[in-house]
Amino acid sequence: MKSISLYEDKGTFLNRTAPESKLLYILTAVSVPALTGIEWAGIAFIALSALLLLTGRVLKKTLPVLGVSGFIMLTVVVIQGMFRRENMTPVFSLGPCVFYREGLYFAFQIILHILNILLSFCVLMLTTKPSDLIESLVRRGFSPRFGYVFVSVFQIIPQMTETMGIIMDAQRSRGMETEGNLLTRAKAFLPLISPVVMSSLVNTRERAMALEVRGFNSRCKKSFLNPRVKTAADRYIQAMELALIASALGWRILLWLM
Amino acid sequence: MARIEIEDLYFSYRPEEEILKGVRLTLDQRPTAIIGQNGAGKTTFVKLLKGLLRPTGGRILLDGQDIAGLSAAKLASRIGMVFQNPNDQIFKNTVMAEVSFGPRQIGMPEDKMRICCQKALEAARLTGLEEKNPYDMGLSARKMVAIASILAMDTDTVIFDEPTIAQDHVGKERIRQIIRGLAGEGKSVIAILHDMDFVADVFERVIVFMEGRILMDGSVREVFADRDMLERAYLEQPNVTRLCHELGYRGVYLKVEELLHET
Repeated sequence: MKSISLYEDKGTFLNRTAPESKLLYILTAVSVPALTGIEWAGIAFIALSALLLLTGRVLKKTLPVLGVSGFIMLTVVVIQGMFRRENMTPVFSLGPCVFYREGLYFAFQIILHILNILLSFCVLMLTTKPSDLIESLVRRGFSPRFGYVFVSVFQIIPQMTETMGIIMDAQRSRGMETEGNLLTRAKAFLPLISPVVMSSLVNTRERAMALEVRGFNSRCKKSFLNPRVKTAADRYIQAMELALIASALGWRILLWLM
Repeated sequence: MARIEIEDLYFSYRPEEEILKGVRLTLDQRPTAIIGQNGAGKTTFVKLLKGLLRPTGGRILLDGQDIAGLSAAKLASRIGMVFQNPNDQIFKNTVMAEVSFGPRQIGMPEDKMRICCQKALEAARLTGLEEKNPYDMGLSARKMVAIASILAMDTDTVIFDEPTIAQDHVGKERIRQIIRGLAGEGKSVIAILHDMDFVADVFERVIVFMEGRILMDGSVREVFADRDMLERAYLEQPNVTRLCHELGYRGVYLKVEELLHET
């Protein structure tokens, strides 16, 4: 079965780091530049995330993510660069379009924020197995029911794609054209979609019963299959992250008091 | 009757993992069972016959014509295929609508369609249930609906993927009669099966797949006589054949009747 998760176990340091440390890293990367208001803090975190992704050997996987958001960033540059209200000093022009210094600077700041958030999320998502992440959240008191819903999305979507493929084959072999122009495809849609919906409804009911039979709703304290992984490195990392957030907060309060 | 020739067929989903490694055979009118371990390439093979997958090497000739130029939908009027799970196929609200869907798709004339549907419903013992909703029926009855909806298309070749799954004795008996009936009409029947007793009972030719290649190809008696080769493919002889072997009888017995007749 194809996985929709971007995660791949490469046995790197980031794979071994506890999901909490990486979650806390996102919080640090986002809150420290926001609290201190220092621009280079954002740049530093982008560089750190990139370095982490490089050591985690997943830097290449961030490229499609950056590609998609790159389009949005480009629109930010165009709109802010040309039309921001504070625009005063022209920098350059492309034909009739004039770009201004103030708008471009503002766009640059927004892009820094976007990149920072994106890359720090990549550090978590590309190196953490979704079920591990949910398990660590459930351990911390997150509802197991919602945890199950999140994990099952990662199973159900590939499963539905697979079912869709089989159903498509079954109808094609009865003479239905599923390839061709838009009208042919639209006509093919109904016979394809109803078995998909029906079978996933049936599956859902069966799955719910199978879960219930195994005590999903039981009120006992649940144990976990995997032992809790928290190394000395994790403790050290988390302490550092908390210290950074605390000092950024302290800095903010100090500025505010003065 | 359709003649299907398979020339050096190769197939892989991923280049490093070949599923079919040079299959060469000619399918004739004899009802043919394809057996083999899970993952031997049986289902992939029939999907290729049906045009649902395209070979990475080799050709499939249907009456001398390469099927590479035909879409699965075009092939539908020549080769019918009953899928393993009827839920993947059924989508209409009544049995009749489901059964007549295929014939309509291949553009069968109205009067011929009526006759074919009636015949197919009769063969699957569904007469009288035309207006029932297939989703209200049990799994084995739904399988019959799926079979009937392919029979109604009146194709020269009919492929069954695991027809006996979830069938009780009565259901198997019905499927046996359907396959015999098709063979009697001069149609080619190809079935993937795991039930060796059923194979011995109903089919004439057996092809054994192993790891993407054909290990054995011959009459039922020839194939089931060779215990060692079957073991290599992780398959067993039919129960009667094994019993007679254990009892020390000479000769290969395929059916209970044969044994009773002999002794």
